[in-house]
Amino acid sequence: MARLPASPTQRIDPSRPIRFRYWGGEAEGVAGDTVASALYAAGVRVFSRSLKYHRPRGLYGLDGESANTFVAIDGVPNEAAETTLLRPGMAIAAQNVRGSPERDLYGILDRFDGLMPAGFYYRLFHRPARLWPFFQERLRAMAGVGVLQPSGSRERPGRFERYLNAEVAVVGGGPAGMAAALAAAEGGGRVCLFERRLHLGGHLDWRTRLVDGQPLHRRATELAARVAACPNIRVFTHAPVTGVWGENLVTGFLICPEGGIAREYHYECRARSVVVASGCTERPLVFEHNDRPGVMPATTAWRLAASYGVLPGRRAVFAGGDDSSLEAAIELAGYGVEVAAVADARAEGHDPELVAAIGEAGIRFLPGWTAGAARGTNRVTGVELRRIDGGRAEELRCDLLLANAGLQSLIGPLSTLKAQLGYCTRTGMFQPTRLPERAFVAGSMLGLRDVAAIEASGRLAGLEAAAAAGWDAESQIREARDAVRNAPGPAAGCFLACAPGIGRGAKAFVDFDEDGSYKNVVESAQQGFDVPELAKRFGGFGLGPGQYHVPGQNLAMIMAALAGTPLDQLSGTTVRPPLVPPRLATLAGPGLAVHKETPLHDAQAALGAIFRNAGAWHRARYFSTDLSCREEIRNVRANVGVLDSSPLGKFRIYGPDAQKALQRVYVSDMSKTKPGRCKYSAMCNDTGNLMDDGVVVEIGPGDYYFTTSSARAGATVEWFRYHTRHDGWEYQLVNLTDTLGSLNLAGPNARKVLAKITDADLSNAAFPYMGYREIVVGDGVPVRCLRLGFVGELSYELHAPSSYCGYLWDLIMAAGAEFGIRPFGLEAQSCLRAEKGHVIIGTESEQRVTLTDIGMGFLWDSKDTASKKVGAPALRHASGQTDRLKLVGLRIDQAERRPEDGDIVIDGTEVVGYLCTTRMSETLGWQYGLALITDRHAPEGGTVQIYSNPRGTPSVTHGTVVAPHFYDPEGARLRA
Amino acid sequence: MTFMLTCPICGRRELHEFLCGGQERGPRPPQEGLSAEAHFRYAQFRSIPPAPQPEWWYHGQGCGVWFKATRNPATNREERPGG
Ligand SMILES: [Zn+2]
Repeated sequence: MARLPASPTQRIDPSRPIRFRYWGGEAEGVAGDTVASALYAAGVRVFSRSLKYHRPRGLYGLDGESANTFVAIDGVPNEAAETTLLRPGMAIAAQNVRGSPERDLYGILDRFDGLMPAGFYYRLFHRPARLWPFFQERLRAMAGVGVLQPSGSRERPGRFERYLNAEVAVVGGGPAGMAAALAAAEGGGRVCLFERRLHLGGHLDWRTRLVDGQPLHRRATELAARVAACPNIRVFTHAPVTGVWGENLVTGFLICPEGGIAREYHYECRARSVVVASGCTERPLVFEHNDRPGVMPATTAWRLAASYGVLPGRRAVFAGGDDSSLEAAIELAGYGVEVAAVADARAEGHDPELVAAIGEAGIRFLPGWTAGAARGTNRVTGVELRRIDGGRAEELRCDLLLANAGLQSLIGPLSTLKAQLGYCTRTGMFQPTRLPERAFVAGSMLGLRDVAAIEASGRLAGLEAAAAAGWDAESQIREARDAVRNAPGPAAGCFLACAPGIGRGAKAFVDFDEDGSYKNVVESAQQGFDVPELAKRFGGFGLGPGQYHVPGQNLAMIMAALAGTPLDQLSGTTVRPPLVPPRLATLAGPGLAVHKETPLHDAQAALGAIFRNAGAWHRARYFSTDLSCREEIRNVRANVGVLDSSPLGKFRIYGPDAQKALQRVYVSDMSKTKPGRCKYSAMCNDTGNLMDDGVVVEIGPGDYYFTTSSARAGATVEWFRYHTRHDGWEYQLVNLTDTLGSLNLAGPNARKVLAKITDADLSNAAFPYMGYREIVVGDGVPVRCLRLGFVGELSYELHAPSSYCGYLWDLIMAAGAEFGIRPFGLEAQSCLRAEKGHVIIGTESEQRVTLTDIGMGFLWDSKDTASKKVGAPALRHASGQTDRLKLVGLRIDQAERRPEDGDIVIDGTEVVGYLCTTRMSETLGWQYGLALITDRHAPEGGTVQIYSNPRGTPSVTHGTVVAPHFYDPEGARLRA
Repeated sequence: MTFMLTCPICGRRELHEFLCGGQERGPRPPQEGLSAEAHFRYAQFRSIPPAPQPEWWYHGQGCGVWFKATRNPATNREERPGG
């Protein structure tokens, strides 16, 4: 379809065509088009099928008000066609459609409407319970919006500013919002202005009406230029606000332009004050078949013509309740739409200037009339207009029916901000009755219609907000108040709840997304769900992605009318966040997961390491595609291997009370540390669960170096300080985890390798097992060397400044070459330590087991009560208990299918525990397992059954209980 | 819901920088003769009265201090911030 001749309100560039695909065919839009405007211009009228009844649905709003216009774009479902800019080559498909949008195979459901009353899912299908899965599957196939493609592209966003700070945040970039921002900025503070649309200007953007000799859209451009020129205002367009929260936190997301840093990103703006100027939207008129394609708010048709140069239809009938519809009628007539009639639900109170203009244009004006029913199925073909008092009716032909029941305020941001709202019997809208601290409201949402009044209210709110943020603006505020007082006040609204004469069975929709009709509201009320908040849950009104926009005030007004409640007692529903739905990938997803890389990342990558995320880190897990790591394990046992253990927690604690702090958090007697010795101990929580283990070395008087597990490194400082917070002890705690990297050199040849790169005496006598030495390696790198044995072999942990770790790694690899050194990863380490029976916290321990249960009770100094050790009371309490889970070793019989980690241990039909870790060990020649099982089954020599059920085919394997130290139980290799 | 808290060292900061350590329940009770019930009552039980109460907060994303703040869980408002 050719576009209308160029006009100053247009936001498109028809000289730049954009080709795209829709429903398998080729179509063309122009630069500046949204998907919705391009589809509409291409002649698409049925955009989708409705959720429950598969009714044809067309374009409704242009701001993402309903799911009618959700489409799948390039395989990504639920994209709002109205807010997504057209890009070249897009493949667009309709949703919830079997067949094509125009001829849908499930469309027949519409005839069985009687079978689907409000709440029908719950009432019809919940019994018998065993049939529910069957119904659930069928219903899900029929209903629903879009199909998710899990293999969709994963985007990694670039850099963006997520956390903003401002003195004043302004929600809404219309005339009130812009005036507020400009006024607030006069105080010199930082102002952030958020607008959901692509352009500032609000409802002025497409209006050509002359006010003080200037077209309104020109006024909008002028204000926008002043805002842009103001150095302390930051403008965010295409940036819908998802909520405004306690102490004025504004959250939302920014939709980036094509080729931007991300598709969308989430922002949070902490502002001292906030101005909400989110404006109004048309309140949908509830009448029969008000969902037919071609029935839409007046603004939608107006904007299609003014902003996108698309002729919305040939012959229009208006059925409105606000002066804006009168203005729209005059404008659309000017664009070449034949306006058959303008019905207005208000009998009086119209803007005389507009009424006169309608008369001059030769348009029939019907005050006190409204729409009663739309004709047509896939397209509106006519309308039955009715008098408000139900007295008369008249049929008119049209292909465009522009209907509303006046305006309603967009109260979403106020609702999340917990402002008190009440129904105003003058404006006919919900309006704030009490605002939280430093929150202000301005513009048309206060019922103002006069543009000068709207700007004046914006200016006042902006000044008040800046003043609340600390600017002395007393005299300016006084002047602004006078300006508001002298401007026209709120206009009278429209109070029509729904069209007259719609019967019980009418298909008059209150909510398009959930197919909630007037009939369903009546049913909800009859079932006892007779207040809006209850009806909302029962009938699903307002639970769809369009949220409040379509059901809005109507649900409350209809329910009040049914119950005979006076209007001034009208109560609404709480608008829930997000006010505008962001993509899930905007809030979560792989692009937002941040992991640390160790100083040896590149060195290991060069050797073919396969990395996995482990806690806060990105770590080398395998060094080959053999995920059983046979070669890596064999080499550590037979030669020597090196592991990057840099994520290991590394800390220094010093001060006169450092030892007291250690006594508090460690279960052992920490007065028994010795210089040059590693003391192994563990930390428990208040329920006696193992939280952490590591070694403590005394490096000076009241000065200690200690290690924690990688997973606990981040919480260690918090843990120490929490458990000593009442004591007033004097100690300093320094987290050295990232400062120092660490390498674990392990295997029978470890000493030989290390000896080649240091002059330190490494003999067993000079540097025994569990020893600690500060040595110098290579060209003078200071290394803290700990002789430990987590993997069960002679090993040296080398802790060195992170910046030296690469050098150290190269040195070791070169020195170890003659001994066949090779790196090993986390998986090999996990197998090696499991063979040795060394536990990993969270793998062989859990919430139900204490330190004692997993065989580490020997660490606990049970006689010490004076230190008030964390976990000691629980350990004491649990020590006499029976029927507890214990950690045991299992020697698992050979079986066709080997049990896996997590398989359960059974005794007949009773579950007695589970396998924590199990591997087929080449070193041992049999499959071992570490299992937590009840103490009744824990004695060594007993047999247990292991039940495996991968992919639904169960099998049982037998195992014998043995001590959980399979490899070198005497520890001779560690001491070698 | 979100609010701000005042760290005695860093000043007023976003809630997400902090970790809540729960209601102030006094120092750890002496362990000599401590019954299991008394221990678990101290370690596990918390009440959230809709009135100002002293609480422990940890400034994990900041200076790493544990401090006491008096907050009303019903309004999320601090009393005598920083005091
Ligand atoms: Zn702090």
